[in-house]
Amino acid sequence: MKPYFKFELSQFITNKKNIAIYVILLFLACFYALNIAPSYKPIERVDAKEIEARYTSRESFIQNYLNDPNRFQGMASGGLFIFPRWNELDKKRLESLNEGNLKKYASVTSKWYTFSNDLITSTGQYYYSPGYYTHGNLYASDDGNYGYSYSASRYAGYGEGKSKLSINVFEERTALQTLQRLLESYLPMILIICCVFLSVDIVLKDRLYPSLLKGFPISDWKKLLIKGAVALIGSVGIIIPISIGLIMIGIRYGFGDFGLPVAIYTFVGEPTYFKKGEFLNTSMGMYLLQNFIILILLFALIISLVLLASMIIRNEFANLLVGAMFIFNEIFYFKRGIGFFEEVENYPTNYVQVGQIISGYRNYIYNSSALTFDKGVYVLGISTGILILLIFVISKFKRYKLV
Amino acid sequence: MLELRNINVQFSGRTILKDVNETFHRGEIIGLVAPNGTGKSTLMNVIMNYVKPNSGKVVVNEKLQYKTKKDEVKIHEVISMMPDQSDLYNHLSGIEHLKVYCSMWNSDTDLIDKTIKELGMESYVKKRTGTYSLGMRQRLCFAMQIVSNTPIMLMDEVMNGLDPNNVNIISNILLKKREEGKIIIIASHLLDNLEQISDRIFLFKDGALVNSAVVSNGIGKSEISTVRVKGLSDIAKEILINQFPGTNVLPLSNGVSLIDVSSFSVEELSQLVVFLHDNKFTDFNFGNVSLGDLYTMFYIKDNTEINTSANAAGLAEEYIRLKQELEIVKRAMTIVARK
Repeated sequence: MKPYFKFELSQFITNKKNIAIYVILLFLACFYALNIAPSYKPIERVDAKEIEARYTSRESFIQNYLNDPNRFQGMASGGLFIFPRWNELDKKRLESLNEGNLKKYASVTSKWYTFSNDLITSTGQYYYSPGYYTHGNLYASDDGNYGYSYSASRYAGYGEGKSKLSINVFEERTALQTLQRLLESYLPMILIICCVFLSVDIVLKDRLYPSLLKGFPISDWKKLLIKGAVALIGSVGIIIPISIGLIMIGIRYGFGDFGLPVAIYTFVGEPTYFKKGEFLNTSMGMYLLQNFIILILLFALIISLVLLASMIIRNEFANLLVGAMFIFNEIFYFKRGIGFFEEVENYPTNYVQVGQIISGYRNYIYNSSALTFDKGVYVLGISTGILILLIFVISKFKRYKLV
Repeated sequence: MLELRNINVQFSGRTILKDVNETFHRGEIIGLVAPNGTGKSTLMNVIMNYVKPNSGKVVVNEKLQYKTKKDEVKIHEVISMMPDQSDLYNHLSGIEHLKVYCSMWNSDTDLIDKTIKELGMESYVKKRTGTYSLGMRQRLCFAMQIVSNTPIMLMDEVMNGLDPNNVNIISNILLKKREEGKIIIIASHLLDNLEQISDRIFLFKDGALVNSAVVSNGIGKSEISTVRVKGLSDIAKEILINQFPGTNVLPLSNGVSLIDVSSFSVEELSQLVVFLHDNKFTDFNFGNVSLGDLYTMFYIKDNTEINTSANAAGLAEEYIRLKQELEIVKRAMTIVARK
């Protein structure tokens, strides 16, 4: 098996299409690092001027009220209950920023987010940061609630942790945090699409060299197994061009560290339709490791699917179609909150957005508690196992010919 | 040992191989001769299990058969088929191809250098095969099979695109491999070369394998022969038939006509030579029946329909007998020369 593995691996590495994929990814990673990452504007920014402006206007309101209590009536008095505490927190945030005490800033900011979120959700009179209220977003408040709770949790983690803090860390601009953000965005999809493209011809390319390959003294099953392994290694190799982009980001904004807290939305206990979960922090290292494991399982599943399609349909476009169907299948059944009614956690296609699964965001928008790392490992593992079993059975048919 | 037992192959109702029964032994070079599309490659594909026969089986080393996928792997460890030159990886070098074949069959790596040297491939073996000429590619394909070093080797059109020097080099290597005890089955259109190196030669007729050696048995009792004349025109042919009534003249596609003198007496042979000489046909001979003659007779006969009564095997028999009658012809020639 070893000689065939070496042969397949060398074929994979020298394949022009595969080289093109790596080069395109490298280009995209560099473009992202040089062009897109610097223009990233998080909704939850560390902005002293903004804090000061809020503080000043509230303080002005309080002073005006104290100077002339008869001037304000009705709801305005509500401000007097809220603004002093809010301003107290904002003042501490400003002071800690001016002092350069980032640990204190993190602790106070965590409290600020908790207070603000409780206030907004309980009163319904206030709003989250404007960044959540984008055109067409029917769930802006939901997103704001998630964003504030998430920020409260991670800032608490910064305050309690030992990681070196900076504004870039707070705004999640460091290399590892960028990776975290990307994993919760389009990166998993890009990686899986790359995996499909890398594996799409791994079997069918042999049709170009039949007389050279048919007589190899190795069974079709072993050939397929090796091809799958090579495609998996090649897909994991996508990390290399992406790492180059991350290094570029790291040089500019810092690399962050594996001890940085990552807030995970967690449902404790049985979910109910109106009950929300809470955020618990995990380490960046654990978060990335779990992402990596789910991604590997997804790659294995996609590759198995492509291998099976190659055996049955024997057409590269059909392979692409099968891969695309897997990647985009979730679009056809996704509805916000549907997880409460349907067991979406049992669909392997539900785990494509790896970062959102691990961070719990998918649970949040599905209103589910079951889309977890453990469940993902289970579902993807079982699905891959079934596909591999099918490949094994078909390859053992006496009449079946791989080439 | 390689046994073919009752192999029958049909494609779309057309019989390609019919009741093929043959056993090949260690240290044999087997030649397969037939026009294109008559079953040579199909037979090799059946031996490799690339084509499933409608009936019959291939038995290797008395016990191995294509019963399971596991058996197929075991058989492919001992049988290899020369790759087609159009299937080479153009972006890989020759030596990379050789290394792949050597490692896949786990053979001796020294064979690579040895084969490169024997085939004179040193100057280009490290270049990408995309830059190779037809002959270079063909030599590489041959070298790949040699480094696989399997006990049974199948070679389809091994001499394609090779110059006489390389044909000679490859022939010598094949003879060495035979000495090592390998079974080598070669399909080729280089009939003279095949005749020189093969221990047994088989022709295909209507899907059946016809052993040329079997046809040559038992000759020497009749008094028949052939005169091979070049450039015999239709007019001359008519005159000849008038002068020698009942004589079969078989014009071949290469411009040579075979005159069947099986019933001729020595005197008649002498008269024939005189006739040819008088009509300015100086390019004629009584040489041995070659594989080329046999091939032409075997496959061209049906097209020309000169002799519709004789079946293929019978016709082959007639011409193999010529070998043993050559002495008689020589005597006739001596008489003519004296005249």
